[in-house]
Amino acid sequence: MLEQIRQWLHNRRGGPVGSHDTDNLPNPKTPGEQLLSDARLIVLDLETTGLNAAKDEVIAIGAVAIRGGTIPLEDQFDLILRRPELDIRETVLIHGIGPEALTQGHETEDALLHLLEWMNGDPILAYHSAFDQRFLEKTLKAQLGYTQSHTWMDVADILPTFFPDARTGGKGLDHWADYFGLEVSARHHAAADALATAELTLIALNKAKKEGVKTLLNLSEKIKYYRRLQNMHRF
Amino acid sequence: MAAANQDSSRSQNTRAIMGFLREHAPFSNMDDRHLALFADNATLRFFADGDVVLSPDDGVVKRFYVVKQGRIRGERQNEKDDRLETTFEISLGECFPLAALIGERPTQTLHRADGDTFCLSIEQDAFITLFSESDTFRDFCLRGVSSLLDQVNQRIQSGAMASMGSSNTLDTPLERYALRNPIVCSPDVPVRKAVARMHENNVGSIIITDDNRHPTGIFTLRDLRSMIAKGEAPLDTPIQQVMTSEPCRLPAHADAFEAAMLMAEHHFAHLCVVDEEDHLIGVVSERDLFALQRVDLVNLARTIGTATHLRTLVSLRSDVSRLVDAMLAHGADSGQVVKIITTLNDVTVRRVLELNLKKNDPGIPFTWLTFGSEGRQEQTLLTDQDNGILFQTPEGMTEEEVREKLLPFAQTVNKELAECGFTLCKGNIMASNPKLCLSEREWDDWFIRFIDASTPQNLVYSSIFLDMRAVFGPTAPLHNLLEKVLTRIRKNALFQKMLAGNALQRKPPLTMFRNFRYLNDEGNKHSLDLKRQGLAPFVESVRVFALANGVEVANTLERMDELARKGVFDPKDANAWKEGYSLIQAIRMRAHQEMLNQGEDLSNFIDPDDLNPLDRRILRESFRQAQRLQQKLEVTYQL
Repeated sequence: MLEQIRQWLHNRRGGPVGSHDTDNLPNPKTPGEQLLSDARLIVLDLETTGLNAAKDEVIAIGAVAIRGGTIPLEDQFDLILRRPELDIRETVLIHGIGPEALTQGHETEDALLHLLEWMNGDPILAYHSAFDQRFLEKTLKAQLGYTQSHTWMDVADILPTFFPDARTGGKGLDHWADYFGLEVSARHHAAADALATAELTLIALNKAKKEGVKTLLNLSEKIKYYRRLQNMHRF
Repeated sequence: MAAANQDSSRSQNTRAIMGFLREHAPFSNMDDRHLALFADNATLRFFADGDVVLSPDDGVVKRFYVVKQGRIRGERQNEKDDRLETTFEISLGECFPLAALIGERPTQTLHRADGDTFCLSIEQDAFITLFSESDTFRDFCLRGVSSLLDQVNQRIQSGAMASMGSSNTLDTPLERYALRNPIVCSPDVPVRKAVARMHENNVGSIIITDDNRHPTGIFTLRDLRSMIAKGEAPLDTPIQQVMTSEPCRLPAHADAFEAAMLMAEHHFAHLCVVDEEDHLIGVVSERDLFALQRVDLVNLARTIGTATHLRTLVSLRSDVSRLVDAMLAHGADSGQVVKIITTLNDVTVRRVLELNLKKNDPGIPFTWLTFGSEGRQEQTLLTDQDNGILFQTPEGMTEEEVREKLLPFAQTVNKELAECGFTLCKGNIMASNPKLCLSEREWDDWFIRFIDASTPQNLVYSSIFLDMRAVFGPTAPLHNLLEKVLTRIRKNALFQKMLAGNALQRKPPLTMFRNFRYLNDEGNKHSLDLKRQGLAPFVESVRVFALANGVEVANTLERMDELARKGVFDPKDANAWKEGYSLIQAIRMRAHQEMLNQGEDLSNFIDPDDLNPLDRRILRESFRQAQRLQQKLEVTYQL
């Protein structure tokens, strides 16, 4: 898969961006009766130049897929965007991507188009997904004029939905990773964070299955219910 | 860190998995490209505490797993008291299920997650690619299951697997080097024409087949030579009159080892390879085997079996030990080597007896018995004589008169065997001892006393006299005797209990915490006695069960098979115990080989710290199996 991407990008590089038929990009799927046991879910993590979606930019995309409750590693996405014009001095310390790596990255348009094709319209999961969703949708719109909305689910909600009593000591990805004893290979590397998030998702899906959650719709309703409960407690 | 562009051809997650693999055997010794192959094809799976990972009900295993986090335990239902037993544990970085995957069969044990567990898995096709491309990986996979017993499973069944094995092992299936399109003729062809066909094709044998391609006979150049030498039949005789009928045959999936053993036993040079319907597929000659083995087993057996002088036999013994060295050096399986030594020892003993009978036949029908490790067919090179005679008393003679004739004969045989390297027995357990040269009736009386008077000395002797086998002469008298002895032991619960108590004297060298328990704790060197602490618990426990359940064979592995067939052992337990026993034997023989290479005297002591981590783990697990076997003995006899 990665080899294909590489090949594809190699072929695309330098070619006119417009040659990509944006009308034929996959349509986002809505959570319905698809069985969790064979649905494909995207677990994504972005590295950005900062936290402000209005002015900061995406510099790296890491994603893995979950299929049938497993993570097949041949089906993954790990790219650094070529954005040499960006000022990343502020965040370089966190994610470790220096200007040199960025200039060697891939053409943004190419990478984004390929990301859309690779995701194939499947639901996207992320940790604190609102952040990734804002950045990705902004970037897709700015670079490609793409405005369709994917289904997003927040792993930060999924986990407490199924492990309401877990004493994680906090709500961050690190807290949950520590709680389940995961080793994250390179924290703040998009692909490594995506994999850690996906591993946590597997743990949650295993529990979900035992609680009788069968379809994507069941899952999203369960999360909504959890959120409502949280909001009720708040007032 | 700038890892992102350090190795831009691989994604971060692929590199992370490779990094993880590198910390564990066998991956630590594998090339990066093989690790990348693994990582690229891997799937990450999660199993919550208590989830079933693999079950015997899942069918043939198609997936290879490495524990990335957490632990897996093997679980077996104990039928007697309805309690779950953990048979093994697989922890971080360890692989499973090797034997089932390579044997292309379902797993025999339920694998369950012990705590929340992540595993990396690859599917069978990626496993096969890795297995065929990486020598390190292949060695690891095969070593993990390389006991003689598991060979049936391990023997690589599918064509895909067959083509990737190393090309010169004794495990190679015959079909890999059987001559395709063997030279054949029909039974009515004249000898002259058949020989012409052999000549044209430059082969040493021709197979005679019927209309359905079933082999009915074989004719070889040696047959031609003796035919011409005798001058009895002309060359236009139909070949069926001079061929050897019903030629020896093996199925295509039999391996080179079986072929070599069959040839060594019967002194054939050619074997037919047939399919399931007994259709001829090919011919294997000893030369085909030797070309692969560079080990002159068949020829050596034939030379011993036809030697005309004692001094030839004596000189051939050094060839035997050289052969064993060569086989060990070529990585032959311990079970195979033990069996080869036994076969060659048997051939030698038989030949010594035959030569003496030729010179000076006492004229008394007798069976030559061997006891102890030789009786169990578990000999190594350094072996004592433990033998006896079971004779039939001819009409009109007393047993004393028979002994007068047989003892001088036995004395010569014992002396000549000693010259051949079978050390004289210090305890005088030899056929020349009047107490061990007995008629069937006398042996029976002897055993009655042996069983009734369970003295400590008798218990020591039990490991010798209760492992008994006929090497030469008719086997029926021994069979009759054994039947009586076994019946008596079966009825004598006290004797069984004493044997069981005796078998529990030697404990496997493990502490409560499954660490090794060493013989000495001083100095830097630890030591374990692989024979007395490792093998003996198996041999002695199995003997008690075998005798108590009427199993006649003496070989420890065969006894376990028989006990499983009789339902005394759970088949899965029997397999685990056979494997454990064989693996200790393998480690012992490898240690012996290293001692030989260093020019040291052979000993059964090893320091587990000298083993690689995999062998240490195998050894520990094997000792644990010995403990389980002893536990069964304790439960059975309430000790």
